Amino acid sequence: MSLLELNNISKIYGDLKALDNVSLSVDTGEWVAIMGPSGSGKSTMMNIIGCMDKPTSGAVLLDGKDISKESAKSLTAIRRDKIGLIFQQFHLVNYLTAVENVMVAQYYHSMPDEKEALEALERVGLADRAKHLPSQLSGGEQQRVCIARALINYPEIVLADEPTGNLDEANENIVLDIFKQLHKDGTTLVVVTHDPEVGEVAQRTITLEHGRIVKDALNANFKEA
Amino acid sequence: MTKRKMFLRMITASLVRRRSRMLVALLAIAVGATILSGLVTIYYDVPRQMGAQFRNYGANMIFLAASNEARFDLDTVRRGVACIDAEELVGVAPYRYETVRIHEQPILAAGTDLDGAKATSPYWHIDGEWPSARYEVLVGQETAEFLGLKTGDVFNATWSSGEEEEDVLNLGVDMKVAGILETGGSEEEYLYMSLSDMEELAGETEKLDVVELSVSASADELKAYEQDIEANVPDIAPRLVKRVTESESTVLTKLQSLVFLVTAVVLVLTMICVATTMTAVVTERRKEIGLRKSLGASDGSIIWEFMGEGLLLGGVGGILGSILGFAFAQFVSVHVFSSSITYQPALLPVTILVSVLVTGLACLLPVRSATEVDPALVLKGE
Amino acid sequence: MFFRMIRGAFTRQWKKMLMIALTIALGASLATAMLGVMMDVGDKVNQELKTYGANITVVPKASSVIGNLYEVEGGESGETAYLREDELGKIKTIFWAFNIVDFSPFIDTEVTLPDGAGVKLVGTWFNHHLALPTGEELDTGVKNLRTWWSIEDGRWIDEGLDVYEPNCVMVGSVLAEREGLRVGDWLHVSAPYGENDLIVCGIFDSGDDADEQLYAPMDVVQALSDTDGYLTSIEVSALTTPDNELAERAAKDPSSLSIADYELWYCTAYVSSICYQLQEVITDSVASPVRQVADSEGAILEKTELLMVLITILSLIGSALGITNLVTASVMERSNELGLLKAIGAKDGAISALVLTEVILTGIVGAAIGYFAGLGFAQIIGHTVFGSSIAMKPLVLPVVAVLVLVVTLAGSVPAIRMLLKLRPAEVLHGR
Repeated sequence: MSLLELNNISKIYGDLKALDNVSLSVDTGEWVAIMGPSGSGKSTMMNIIGCMDKPTSGAVLLDGKDISKESAKSLTAIRRDKIGLIFQQFHLVNYLTAVENVMVAQYYHSMPDEKEALEALERVGLADRAKHLPSQLSGGEQQRVCIARALINYPEIVLADEPTGNLDEANENIVLDIFKQLHKDGTTLVVVTHDPEVGEVAQRTITLEHGRIVKDALNANFKEA
Repeated sequence: MTKRKMFLRMITASLVRRRSRMLVALLAIAVGATILSGLVTIYYDVPRQMGAQFRNYGANMIFLAASNEARFDLDTVRRGVACIDAEELVGVAPYRYETVRIHEQPILAAGTDLDGAKATSPYWHIDGEWPSARYEVLVGQETAEFLGLKTGDVFNATWSSGEEEEDVLNLGVDMKVAGILETGGSEEEYLYMSLSDMEELAGETEKLDVVELSVSASADELKAYEQDIEANVPDIAPRLVKRVTESESTVLTKLQSLVFLVTAVVLVLTMICVATTMTAVVTERRKEIGLRKSLGASDGSIIWEFMGEGLLLGGVGGILGSILGFAFAQFVSVHVFSSSITYQPALLPVTILVSVLVTGLACLLPVRSATEVDPALVLKGE
Repeated sequence: MFFRMIRGAFTRQWKKMLMIALTIALGASLATAMLGVMMDVGDKVNQELKTYGANITVVPKASSVIGNLYEVEGGESGETAYLREDELGKIKTIFWAFNIVDFSPFIDTEVTLPDGAGVKLVGTWFNHHLALPTGEELDTGVKNLRTWWSIEDGRWIDEGLDVYEPNCVMVGSVLAEREGLRVGDWLHVSAPYGENDLIVCGIFDSGDDADEQLYAPMDVVQALSDTDGYLTSIEVSALTTPDNELAERAAKDPSSLSIADYELWYCTAYVSSICYQLQEVITDSVASPVRQVADSEGAILEKTELLMVLITILSLIGSALGITNLVTASVMERSNELGLLKAIGAKDGAISALVLTEVILTGIVGAAIGYFAGLGFAQIIGHTVFGSSIAMKPLVLPVVAVLVLVVTLAGSVPAIRMLLKLRPAEVLHGR
């Protein structure tokens, strides 16, 4: 059984069909890149997968459970328990240190544990920057804190929205290396991007255009690390 | 680490590391609380302080002898005065009136406790000095003009008992004019001397004619004293000087309601100011609220975190404000009324409570509206 | 383009602008209300203090005041001087005529009651209607000057109604009790120059020696004492300015002042200058302040005004801080936008001009709304407390305008300077 399944979902804003009868399934451990130009419905899809929005019609099955009819409150709970989010703008709380930012996720999920949070930062190579505020970190470092935060609660799906959009090449590579490592560890990864380089390193690429899936292919060049 | 510790850690981090922003909010709250506690303290103290000013109008209660047979001497008066709270008593002046002859003219003379008269009639204008030595007197302006007396003049006064033989023997007493009394009222026709001088001049007698009292109390309290004295000291017939008491309560009520309304208007506007500042401070953080939501925070816990900050700010601001407010009230009291203010201990918890409530409420509304927004929208934002 | 950007700011950020405008409006309304009340509180309280009665008495120059305290009998001076009744209207023609709130003439005489008791009969105005040569009309008399009298039975003598019943008399409560007089009783009084039957139309309680006296209309008493057209004293209730050093010097001897000081003194409503002006119009008179009333008024007025000034200053500081706070916060909030403008090459001056124009435009709107709201608040205070409108001094508007301008600038300039110091890259990359 697949971890995530979208069955004929549509999202309509007024006259605009942001998603038009899209179906998709993602298996546990898969690394999927969702690509497409601006306005193709990437963000809408990302929001629906991330439990931040509900489709107008169709079903979203997460772990075999339909979440498309859930209330906002239980969506919040699902987001907390099963999903790790990585943002293009990092969205760190600016008055908390790196390690505290990671702990915030623990706090809402279960129990804050500073040691565990430090280990998570160590995994993204930021052990020595743990006590720094976001303003003292470079963009790449901030993104790595964001990744550490997304991973801290062992989510079933890690959802990344243009994770390299604000990064230079060097930092982009660092982030992609982390993704590779995550994939190797068995984490399910969904990366929304318009950057072909980021799309290419994924296991499977889905291309959206005008709210429909125009291409869904395994990546020939993909090599298991 | 427990959840509560993390909660506190987040709140303190927010307060300490966003220092400048939080100072802005804290300043607003502290100013609000200062105005609250300062004005309320003044409001409560105005009747007392202003009441003291109204004592300028002079005696508001007089004692008369209850009947011709009644014992009306200093001891009786003392018993009557004892019924009045010593702190409220501004002055007591007993008067004994006799007609004395000066330059063969009959003049009304009053023997009194001169210190008491000074306290009960602060409006007396003295050209010269208050009498300090024996046989020194105050002469009313009318009488002084009539007799041609000036400050420093010495004159001879005699007292007539009404019996011719005694008058021949009576050589009288030489008295010195210490000052000329000017009031614009009938006091200007009198001669004022101390009770002991009067005794030497006109002989000893237990009988007083009238006692003037100046009491710093409201009209109702004065009525209560009046009844109290009537019941306890039957020899005294206490009377309120209606002109002074009635007018005082009208004017004082107006003054107090003025300060009350002003306080109310200032407070309401200040509260709204504090509320808009807090709203601005919270609205600024919509993104952070969206982020927390996307991390899976429930609306309840987000509201709690922001309220926690708000309540802490409100508490600190309230304490600061109470202190500053008291300082302000004290400043006003010393500069306006030249006396220190009575501290209202109940005001401290009230000020803190109100500032906590106002800031809490001012946080709650924008936080609630922020949590209702779709986190995806907030995070994408602008 | 500049205006387009400003228009954009207003149409797109109207919520934030509204909030700033609202705060400025609140502050401005507070300032307006407090300044308005503060500047008028003196007049209002002065008006209230009139309940204490007259603060000036006018007596004939050659006389000593007749009458005595507590009914202790003194000597009778032989010849009595009088003031002239036909000069009364002149009181409302002096420089400070507008400040004369009430006045009433008095004439008194000793009368004998049927049982042989001697009583003082006072003739005066009760609610005398006066048509002045200036065209002004007013009702004045002891009804306004003796606010502390309470009518125990019957009513005040009404000079308008009692024209056809001229022999009314009001009796003090102590006298009424002693003589067993009731409303409607006829009272026969005899005086050296005549006798009359008077009807008791009111019994009053005054709490002072008037309780043992009779009060009747002027002409009744003048007929009894053969003093037609004359009176013994005038009580005047005037709005005055608290005395200062100049007033005290002038009260001693106005001729000792320099011309400039004299003019200043003469044209200020000190009790001494009003007295001086009264003496000028009433022949052979001495006008002197009733110290008990005049001094106390001065003290209370001074204290009340000072109290209001301090409260006003506190609330002005409060509203200034409130506005500064919010303006600073809202400018800081726009660091991204300003950074962007800088990044695309806007000069510091241009950015400052943009933000300042926005803030000041908002400030003007807010201040205008606040000013009118403040006028309303002031009137609410005036009507609730004093039962009359607060006269807004013209000075309030410019003071509020300058205050708002200074405060909004003080709130925005440091914030703008701080933002301009930041490098655009830092701002755009955020945090």
